[in-house]
Amino acid sequence: MNPDRTLSWDWYPGTVPANVVVDETAYLETTYSFLLYRSEADVGVRIGRGASTYLGTMFDVGPRGQVRLGDYALVHGAWIICDAAVEIGDYALISWNVVLMDCYRVPLDPAQRRRELERVSLRSPRRLDAGAAARPVRIGRNVWIGFDACVLPGVSIGEGAVVGARSVVAEDVPPFSVVAGNPARVIRQMEAEGNSDGPR
Amino acid sequence: MSGSTDLAPGLWTDGELPANVRVGRNSIVTGDHAFKRFLSKREPALVIGNHCTLDGVHFALGPEGQVEIGDYCYFTNAVLLCDLEVRIGSYVVVGWNTSIADTDFHPIAPAERIADAVACSPLGRGRKRPEVVRNAVIIEDDVWIGPNATILKGVRIGAGAFVEAGSLLTRDVPPRARVLGNPAQIIGEV
Repeated sequence: MNPDRTLSWDWYPGTVPANVVVDETAYLETTYSFLLYRSEADVGVRIGRGASTYLGTMFDVGPRGQVRLGDYALVHGAWIICDAAVEIGDYALISWNVVLMDCYRVPLDPAQRRRELERVSLRSPRRLDAGAAARPVRIGRNVWIGFDACVLPGVSIGEGAVVGARSVVAEDVPPFSVVAGNPARVIRQMEAEGNSDGPR
Repeated sequence: MSGSTDLAPGLWTDGELPANVRVGRNSIVTGDHAFKRFLSKREPALVIGNHCTLDGVHFALGPEGQVEIGDYCYFTNAVLLCDLEVRIGSYVVVGWNTSIADTDFHPIAPAERIADAVACSPLGRGRKRPEVVRNAVIIEDDVWIGPNATILKGVRIGAGAFVEAGSLLTRDVPPRARVLGNPAQIIGEV
C-alpha cells in the first residue's frame, strides 16, 4: 500500500479506508473491495500477516461492523455482509462467490421492514442501515469454504473444517468435519493431527 | 446516485433508458450492465414503481419478456431472466447474485436440444427454435430473498415470505413461510 493508501497495481481509482489495518506483508488485489464499506469502528477491517483478498471480495460492512482476517488467510471472492463481527481465522481459504453474513440488514418483521425500505428511499447513498439484529460469524483457523457457499448469521465454523461448494451453512460446524449440502450436513470427520503445525 | 426526494421520475444512472421501460418517481436503476441483454419488444416491457432502488440488477429480457416491479423494492445485483412474465409486488428485497428465471431457456428432450443448438448457432439464422417451457414467476408483497438464491419458472412466493440465502425454489412458497435449502423446504414462519 502506498502512503496515500492507494495500491500501485489497482485498476480501480480508490483508496484503502483509514480505519482498515493491513499488515505490510498482506496483499489486496483492489480497493474496489471497499466500494460498500462504511464502518465507523476504530478498526473496521484488520488483515493479518501474509493474508490476501482478491477481485470478487466485497467488504459490505455497516457502521458498527468489524471484520478480522487472520494470518495467511486467502479470500478469493467473498461478499462479507457485516453489521457486528465477521472473524476469519489464520490459514482460512475462502473461494469465489461465497456469502458470509452476520445480519439480514433489514428487520425480519414485514411491517418494520416496510418502514426501513421507506426510509432508505430517502437516503443518499441508499444504504440499508436499519441496525437490525446481527449475530457474529466465526470462521475458524484453517477452514476451507468452497465456491458459491453461504454462511448464515450466527454460525461458527470449527477449526480445520471443510465446507463443500454451494453449501448453505445454517448451523455451527464441528471442528475437523467436512460439511456439504443445502442445508449443509456433516458428511465426514477428519484427523486433527498436524493442524497446529505451520508458521504463526 | 440521485438521492432526491422530489417527484422527479426515476432514472438509470448509467445511460439512456430503453424506450419501452417505465420507471416511477424516486426510483433509481444503477449499473452499466442493466440493459446489456434487454431484447424485449413488449410495450411496455419493464415497469418499475416508485421509490425503488435497483442496484446492479441485470434485466435480461427475451423478445416477449415482460417484468413488473412494485413500489419500495430494494434489489442488489439480482439477475432477472425473463422470456414471458415476472411480476414482483411492493416492499420486496432481493439479495446479491440471486437469479430469477421464468424459463428453462432450452428444451429438455435430447433431440430437441440438438435442433435448438443448430437454431441458436451462427449457422441457424431464421431457423425456428423448438418450444421451451416458460411459466410466469410471481413474487408477492413484502417478500425477502437472500443472496445467492435461485427462483425457477412458475414459482409463486406468497406475501411476507422469507427466502434464506442460497435457497433454490422450484415450488410455490406459502405466505409468511421461511424457506431454506435445495430444493427449498419450509423451516418456519416469519
